[in-house]
Amino acid sequence: MKEISLRGEILQLLPEKAMYWPRESAILIADLHLGKITHFRKAGIALPPQSEDKNWQTLSRLIRKHKPKKLIILGDLFHSKYNDQWENFIDMTERYDDVDWILVKGNHDILRERHYDRSNLSICDYALKVPPFLLTHEPDEVFEDLYTLCGHIHPGIRLKGMAKQSLRLPCFFFGQQVGILPAFGVFTGLHVLHPNKDDRVMVIAEDQIVEIENPIRE
Amino acid sequence: MSNSRQNIKSITEWFEGNNWKAHAFQKQAWKHQLDGYSGIVNAPTGSGKTYSVLLPVFVPYIQNKETPTGLRLIWIAPIRALAKEICLSAERAIEAFGLNWKVGIRTGDTKTADRQKQITHPPQILITTPESLHIILSSKKSKTILKDCKNIVVDEWHELIGSKRGVQTELFLGYMRNLHKDLTIWGISATIGNLEEAMEVLLGPDDGGKRALIKAKIKKKIVVKTIMPKEIERYPWAGHLGIVLLKKVIPIIEDSESTLIFTNTRAQCEIWYQKLLEADPSLAGIMAMHHGSLSREMRSWVEDALYTGKLKAVVCTSSLDLGVDFRPVDNIIQVGSPKGVARFVQRAGRSGHRPGATSKIYFLPTNSLELIESAALRKAIKENKIEDREPFVRSWDVLVQYMMTCAVGGGFKEKELYDEVVATHCYASMSREEWTMLLNHLLYGSQSLRAYDEYQKIGKTSDGTYLVSNKGVAQRHRLSIGTIVSDAMLQVKFVRGKKIGMVEEWFVGQFSPGDTFWFAGMALEYVRIKDNSLQVKKSKKNKGRIPSYMGGRLSFTSQMSEVIKEKIFEFAKGEMKDVEMKKLTPLFELQELRSRMPREEELLIEYFHSDEGFHLLLYPFEGRDIHEGMAALLGQRLSRLLPISFSLAYNDFGLELLSDKQIDVDKILTKELFNPRGLDQDIQSSINAVELAQRKFRDIACISGLVFTGYPGKEKKQRHLVSNSRLLFDVFREYEPENLLYLQTYDEVMAVQLQEVRMREALEKIQSKKLVIVKPEKYTPFSFPLMVDRLREKMSSETLLDRIEKMKIELVK
Repeated sequence: MKEISLRGEILQLLPEKAMYWPRESAILIADLHLGKITHFRKAGIALPPQSEDKNWQTLSRLIRKHKPKKLIILGDLFHSKYNDQWENFIDMTERYDDVDWILVKGNHDILRERHYDRSNLSICDYALKVPPFLLTHEPDEVFEDLYTLCGHIHPGIRLKGMAKQSLRLPCFFFGQQVGILPAFGVFTGLHVLHPNKDDRVMVIAEDQIVEIENPIRE
Repeated sequence: MSNSRQNIKSITEWFEGNNWKAHAFQKQAWKHQLDGYSGIVNAPTGSGKTYSVLLPVFVPYIQNKETPTGLRLIWIAPIRALAKEICLSAERAIEAFGLNWKVGIRTGDTKTADRQKQITHPPQILITTPESLHIILSSKKSKTILKDCKNIVVDEWHELIGSKRGVQTELFLGYMRNLHKDLTIWGISATIGNLEEAMEVLLGPDDGGKRALIKAKIKKKIVVKTIMPKEIERYPWAGHLGIVLLKKVIPIIEDSESTLIFTNTRAQCEIWYQKLLEADPSLAGIMAMHHGSLSREMRSWVEDALYTGKLKAVVCTSSLDLGVDFRPVDNIIQVGSPKGVARFVQRAGRSGHRPGATSKIYFLPTNSLELIESAALRKAIKENKIEDREPFVRSWDVLVQYMMTCAVGGGFKEKELYDEVVATHCYASMSREEWTMLLNHLLYGSQSLRAYDEYQKIGKTSDGTYLVSNKGVAQRHRLSIGTIVSDAMLQVKFVRGKKIGMVEEWFVGQFSPGDTFWFAGMALEYVRIKDNSLQVKKSKKNKGRIPSYMGGRLSFTSQMSEVIKEKIFEFAKGEMKDVEMKKLTPLFELQELRSRMPREEELLIEYFHSDEGFHLLLYPFEGRDIHEGMAALLGQRLSRLLPISFSLAYNDFGLELLSDKQIDVDKILTKELFNPRGLDQDIQSSINAVELAQRKFRDIACISGLVFTGYPGKEKKQRHLVSNSRLLFDVFREYEPENLLYLQTYDEVMAVQLQEVRMREALEKIQSKKLVIVKPEKYTPFSFPLMVDRLREKMSSETLLDRIEKMKIELVK
């Protein structure tokens, strides 16, 4: 875990690729892509079905550990069309029904209304204002007075070292106006970002969060 | 017997009536075919090999000038360019015999309407590719076309055998053998080291049936000349393209009727074409280029123009390696290392096609160390050291694809298909258990049984037929039949629609509208991307980037490594005689001065420090692939002794382990590190430590249908099914490591990439050598090309946190 301060708020970055905001008692996660493995399997692509389980285990561990009042999902909760993994999700929201489940929709969230209606989710189509933050999936406008927290990018970073060493790792990425969360789900991939000198980057190194403080200047 | 003799007479008469002399091997092949044999004809191109296996199919019909209904002969040609020539030869014979047969061609370029007609009204002879045959098998009407065909010819079998297309061919032949007990199969092959084995792969394990290996006793004389640089660079760098020697090429082109210039990559081909034109503008119009990414139309045009003698020079890649006889070609130039003896001989054979003519090939080195290769190749040719082509075995990915093909095309019965498949060479050692695992993989999406989930692919009917009923699954499968895996490509077209060729998507991604790039010998301006193709127009600018294509780097074959070593050891023995070797004397002397020239009884090791870190270099001269495995193995064994991170580089001469930590080489580097004992286990864990397996898995995943690459027109709907093989590999490693397709990755890395047998031999050899550790002050001629190589694997036994500690971020540029 690593604590950072953003616009006067304390946020905890968790190695589970999630963020905890103590003042609001909220967990923030992005890009779960639940049901992705099953979506592939339905199309005849035989991925190991067990691989879907890890998402559920990590999610319930997070809830048990932090006992949040709110769980805010910054988009891409479900990978694609309906499949039976959605029932698992409904079960989970029922099991933890003292939590406020909130979804800010992302481009992958294309389930029909009736499926969302059966769950305990509160749904927000574009963005949620919780000053000093604007919570959204994919930022397309920047507000001076609010700092945007989002997902969508699946941010990663490439590190270089002596003796031609290099590493590619998932990260939290904080710019001047926008902060990006790593993708939570298994089987989601990385998009490598190149930061400016004022950006802050925290990589997820197994069970730790490490801030990279020594950028190369080219 | 007398009957077949009579029949041979009718063919011979036609031959001699044309003023052709029937070679002994042709007569032998005719006789064996008419007696019901299957086999292989081994003959060089241009020797009449086509007619040696084509003519007997006509024999039963000549006397009454019959046209039988249904297909009589399938001719499998590995490249499309070859199909047209075979078609012409067949039509010439048909006309001469006064028959009324039809010859059809079916490849990826054949129009849908023509394909359908081929099934309802089959021609008597069909010339096609392994992929097209599997697509036929995926059709419910496949039996209609295949039920009458009892003769199959596999052309250029030496090209197919060492690839998964060869496995596809084996499976098709297995299917046909099952359909017709009296099927005859003939392969045509150039000389390879393992012809006997090639026959067994083609015909399946020996079942006591009639088989014959017929060798033409026609020997080609090959002259190898080196285009010598004026001066040699003492620090050779592998990134050159040989352009410095371009001026020496122009007179060769001028003095020849027609010259083929072989380059090793498509980008190099484009650059050479452009530079040649700049150097000699009079070549415009009489010089062309040919490579695999150009459109079919453009390639056909070049092939026709070559054939009719309209072109003075063609810059090409391996795309012109085989097939078509270009009689006017009388000179070959090989730019850069051909990496193997057989490939070099084959290219040389593209010239001097007339019987008895000498083949002439010029070798143009792209860096000074390649001069050694020229001397080595000449020696190898003299000693007739031609490589084996190793067949693939137990390729589960191709089998899974084939099982799907059968299920899509009307379904299969388990026992029948099992019997058919184990009768092939590739799957002869497959166990029942393995078969069941593959079947479960298709049926349940998992190799072990588990409760029903939403997985959908193959179903099983009440009478035990496995078939696909889901139309989407069937359609996706038909579109992904094949074993050649390439990166995502975009078609390049003029705005008005004319196709130019294909470039890789990632290359296009670096451009925006208005930018100029150089492709197919033209400066093209990016206009827009539309319907999955890149629209361009001619640009007036004459500068632009040239597309590069991903793709593996070739490695020296073992034959090549052997002769290279002999040449290199000549220095210390004072036995250098070749002009190429003498030319390199200053480089060798510098190497000897700064470090040491390798000796036969030694393994040379260099260790020194630079700004980049500590360089450890070894020179076993076993070829890039072996060095790749050795670097991983050595890195693995060293990092077990202390926490350390390495980045690895390798070329055909040696390997480098670069680290930021100093090690006591005199103490740590012992022969024990090269002990072949424990190779299996150590190499397994070192393969895991680097990305080698991950990269290999990509092909397996594509072939077996685990990665769906999408297809034009349906992009959006399918986007949620796109994944990358790196993620896929990780998922299997973590959740289903017993999956046969996942395990195949390791088998392939071991057998094909690292060539376990060769690696073991190389390690044994080191055991009998003396390790000589030299500590030069700085880089040496041999270490230089390795040090500047940027494409590196990494391995580490340090903790992730320790590694991150020492690293920095790359900022936006």
